[in-house]
Amino acid sequence: MNPTPMPHLTSEEIELWAQGILGAARAMHLADCSLCRAEAEQERKVILELAQLRRFAPSPDFADRVMAKVRIPTRSGEFTP
Amino acid sequence: MAWAKEGHEAAFRELVRRYERPVFSLLYRMVRDRALAEDLAQETFIKVLNGIKSYRPEFKFSSWIFKIANNAGIDHLRRKSLDTLSLDGSPDAATPEEMGATALQLGDKAETPLQELEARELGTVIERAIARLRPEYRACILLRHVEGYAYEEIAEMLDLPLGTVKTYIHRARNELRGYLADKRE
Repeated sequence: MNPTPMPHLTSEEIELWAQGILGAARAMHLADCSLCRAEAEQERKVILELAQLRRFAPSPDFADRVMAKVRIPTRSGEFTP
Repeated sequence: MAWAKEGHEAAFRELVRRYERPVFSLLYRMVRDRALAEDLAQETFIKVLNGIKSYRPEFKFSSWIFKIANNAGIDHLRRKSLDTLSLDGSPDAATPEEMGATALQLGDKAETPLQELEARELGTVIERAIARLRPEYRACILLRHVEGYAYEEIAEMLDLPLGTVKTYIHRARNELRGYLADKRE
């Protein structure tokens, strides 16, 4: 009798695989299952593209503009300005 | 954080310096307008810093600030969807002439330097694909794969059940795959 087939990888397991931390048993399923491999490869490309997105910077005076509008509490509990 | 709670200006500045890029990037990708994203990011920091005394250290500071930023972005998008003008003109227009007169005109203005910058920054295939996602999906996928937060942290930030966050991220990745495949074929 054939053993029960392992279930296909979930979305979270594919993420783990893309990060290189999928458990050995599930990695074996991935090695044997062409459906999961195709799915995982496509998912990995998207995850990598997202991870490489740049962080944009606001204008150089952004912090000054924020600080001009923030009430800074003093130790006595009053606020500046 | 303890310093900031005691009201040291330098600590406040350090918090702004540390979080301005991630908060601004999230909002910029949500609203796709630099000036507006700066306004929303500024609103976020002012709310956070003016409310610093109510910050509870059992929660991560980053979760708190992203929660406020996301709410600011989503609120704006909801308001905007109510205000959206039809490309075909006012729904109250009774005649074709009235419709023509009230229709939104596109493509008849030269781009400003800011619009050119936005087109460069957000014009790549992946950025345009992200823009097509529902705002709820967009926030989840950016917090997960750009900022690297755990599913549980995202659920806390966005006030969503954990299962919903998992579903949104799964669907967002599927949609992105579809858009990217279409564009590259």
